[in-house]
Amino acid sequence: MGGFYSYFKSLFGEKELRILILGLDGAGKTTILYRLQVGEVVTTIPTIGFNVEQVTYKNIKFQVWDLGGQTSIRPYWRCYYSNTDAVVYVIDSVDRERMGIAKDELMYMLKEEELNGAILTILANKQDVEGCMNVTEIHQALGLDSLKNRTFQIFKTSAKKGIGLDEAMDWLCNTLQNHK
Amino acid sequence: MYTLFHGLYKYLTQKDEFWVLILGLDNAGKTTYLECSKTKFKKNYKGINPSKITTTVGLNIGNIDIHRVSLNFWDLGGQTELQSLWDKYYAECHAIIYIVDSSDRERMDESKKTFEKMICNENLGGIPLLILANKQDIPECMGVREVKPIFNQNAHLIGRRDFMVMPIFALTGDGIDEGIQWLVQSIQRNIEVRPPKNFEDY
Repeated sequence: MGGFYSYFKSLFGEKELRILILGLDGAGKTTILYRLQVGEVVTTIPTIGFNVEQVTYKNIKFQVWDLGGQTSIRPYWRCYYSNTDAVVYVIDSVDRERMGIAKDELMYMLKEEELNGAILTILANKQDVEGCMNVTEIHQALGLDSLKNRTFQIFKTSAKKGIGLDEAMDWLCNTLQNHK
Repeated sequence: MYTLFHGLYKYLTQKDEFWVLILGLDNAGKTTYLECSKTKFKKNYKGINPSKITTTVGLNIGNIDIHRVSLNFWDLGGQTELQSLWDKYYAECHAIIYIVDSSDRERMDESKKTFEKMICNENLGGIPLLILANKQDIPECMGVREVKPIFNQNAHLIGRRDFMVMPIFALTGDGIDEGIQWLVQSIQRNIEVRPPKNFEDY
């Protein structure tokens, strides 16, 4: 009986999972959020503040927060950390110059205790642009080998063309369901 | 007095922490193996449905407690382009599990070469090596008798390291127990070379 109940519970998904989309400005966070929600590319302007939307993917409800990525508003990211199930960190794979800043922000963020239990997904975005960095380069540039206690996964995406987002969401769903 | 009891309590409940790297070519079954080990050794852990496991690009971690030892696993991606990232983890690991897809005869040589390259790294000196011949359920797969000689050709490189080849079937979990037992024993034998992670707590 209990099995039945938990089955239905998992089918309808009672609790919303909280996801933060973070990354430097211009990485494509807002485009990704709306790609997930309405399935198409919307014209975005730089986010000052945040966008929050409810996204349903395979019967699982997500509350997705997309926070502005400009230097001046990055310090406010931490106000949103509590109860976060997963962090989606978006990288502009073309922006080689700012990869160091992206790394510092990521490492600084992961030091926060409130994010200890959160799963990390890295989206190497803008993979449709020629000359972008590949996964290995991004792994090294972000110094991901120093993350020894956290499950993470890198996905090649292109929010514009809608590549890779489904894989990333599938992985998030599967991993989060087990993580509980 | 409190310090004494506290120290005793700490001593009794203390677990040595070890790190184990799970490596192998892509599609060998590394993540499936990790999930299955977690399901076997952790209570109340359901495990990801094997059909939902996708290619790893990144890191999966896992932890199991056995005989007062805490084993932490790092499961890395096995694609060729990701293999260059493996060596970042060598210096801190206590053992290596190398998983081979026994049903894939065509890539056996590639697997052997990757293994060869891996064990030449000086940071892996003295580290126990466990080779698991996975997918033993597939009818025309290579048995341990066939896999073992292939990897034994590297005997000169393996040297005095603890080395073992075992059959497993990661989907059902057959053979996982034996592998973990062997691993724990070897890691404990090797404690002088690689002390546990929490050594400074003593």
